Amino acid sequence: MQTEALSEVQVESTVARKPAIWETLTSEKYFKWTLLIPLLIVLAIFMVYPLLYCAYYSFHQWGMRGEAIYIGAQNYRQLLNDKAFLEALYRTLKVLVICVSCELLIGLGLALLWSREFPGENIVRGLALLPLLVAPLILSLLWNFMFEFDFGAVNLVLQALGLNKVYWWSPERALYTICFITIWQWFPFSTFVLVAGLRSLPRDVFEAAKVDGASPWYTFRRLTLPMLSPLIMIIVVLRTMWLIRLFDPLYGTTRGGVQTELLDWIVYRTAFVYFDIGYGSTMAIFSLVLTIAVCAVMFKILMRALEGAR
Amino acid sequence: MKILFWLVTALVLFVIVAPLAWIYLTAFKSPNDIFTTEARKLIFFKPTMENFNRLFREFPFWDNFVNTAIISVSSTVVVMVIASFAAYSFARWNTGKGHLLFTTISTRMFPGVVAAIPFFVMYRNLGLLDTRFGLALLHIYFNVSFATFLLYGFFKEIPVELEQAAMVDGYSRVDIFRKIVLPLVRPGLAVTAVFCLVWSWNEFLFSFLFTRVAARPVTVLISSFWGSIEVQYGPMAAGAAIVILPTLVAAWFMQRYIIRGLTFGAVKG
Repeated sequence: MQTEALSEVQVESTVARKPAIWETLTSEKYFKWTLLIPLLIVLAIFMVYPLLYCAYYSFHQWGMRGEAIYIGAQNYRQLLNDKAFLEALYRTLKVLVICVSCELLIGLGLALLWSREFPGENIVRGLALLPLLVAPLILSLLWNFMFEFDFGAVNLVLQALGLNKVYWWSPERALYTICFITIWQWFPFSTFVLVAGLRSLPRDVFEAAKVDGASPWYTFRRLTLPMLSPLIMIIVVLRTMWLIRLFDPLYGTTRGGVQTELLDWIVYRTAFVYFDIGYGSTMAIFSLVLTIAVCAVMFKILMRALEGAR
Repeated sequence: MKILFWLVTALVLFVIVAPLAWIYLTAFKSPNDIFTTEARKLIFFKPTMENFNRLFREFPFWDNFVNTAIISVSSTVVVMVIASFAAYSFARWNTGKGHLLFTTISTRMFPGVVAAIPFFVMYRNLGLLDTRFGLALLHIYFNVSFATFLLYGFFKEIPVELEQAAMVDGYSRVDIFRKIVLPLVRPGLAVTAVFCLVWSWNEFLFSFLFTRVAARPVTVLISSFWGSIEVQYGPMAAGAAIVILPTLVAAWFMQRYIIRGLTFGAVKG
């Protein structure tokens, strides 16, 4: 078998001589870079170019028509005094904190509940993971309807239970309603990450703790939580990455109204509704720098956590 | 204790499944049953195909559905080629010493709107707005980093010894990649491809900004039913019921891999 394969390769290489460039590209030294060429091209086009473009226009005033006018750092000065933008920034952080902490708490509770294998587990997991792959936009439209004041299922059920109907999309509540939608879709994620974590923990340590007479709470606090911390870190980092650019749930519900405008939405509104490319680019650059700063720190933590998990 | 366990489990599953089931219930309701204030009618009603008929007759649902299918399949094919090459290079040689891998993954953290601004202007000049080709390009960009990172984990699992043995047998680097490594990561390739299909299928921001009529994906059509003047809940639910079906099926059959995929390969659920 081996000799056959060997001769086949030899025949191939003698019959069709590959051109010299092919030899170089697949040589021991360059092959690893050859494999990366397509990816690097994509990254150059879709990362470097937009970056330079936005950086350039952030110093200009341009509305898609006519000439761009150089205005120095004026856009940035305006940004730091832009109340709407700062509010959007604050709201994004608020959503981040609320969603991540709720998902973690619910996830931890359910993971402890489902930490041992149980009959029917595949069905439970299968059903629980369903929302994760459904388009966030469609889910937000669904919940928008469910939370409708007059005909929404939630209010009808509340009424049937003898409670008062709630106006879910009022300016005070809308942001929390959006948080709820996001948490509803994503708590199965943290749950099953933590289930995987709990099941991989070494049994003997916990048995030893039991023999020593440690209380369940003490065991949880001093053994389970520290051992789960790499996974908790992974959840926090990944969820931050997704949440910082929340857009779809806004489009399906409030469209940035009733005090729910988040970071990506205000950039979208400035650049694509008002066609203010210059100022929009400034916001984009600002939110990009913020994201990268947050994520660079988190990526370091994540990598350390990954080493711990593996 | 046992009872409490199943009670909580059942409650959680109800909270998760009921809203999804409700899409399917609404899809078969007549307008009268949708706009009702009777709680009983949430579940008990006379099913009708009216919404589906309206959806197919009055809206370009199937045209947009085909757009979504073409865009997600074509972008996924290209992504898989680019990502499998790159992931193999990263996994085997640690090319770029981790910095390149970080750069790659950081595109996933990029706010979509940052890329959207320059590309909107560029597409307008090149006439790529509202074309399937243009949108597929953006989907390639937005999936390629995810696919590379996920595949990286799968490639890492292949023992180097196998490749060394093949080299002793006189295989070239290209042959090793094609005949030994790729067949071994086939499950990983399948999982990654399904994820890319799903992300592209669900993608909204670029689809919504870069298409109008001809290349409009079906998610954008469904979002248009929620207009500022009137809301067409019936066709919206009918369309959503069809569109989310493939992703629900994917979620069910990939349940063992979902956590692994969503954590970029870090946690093997």
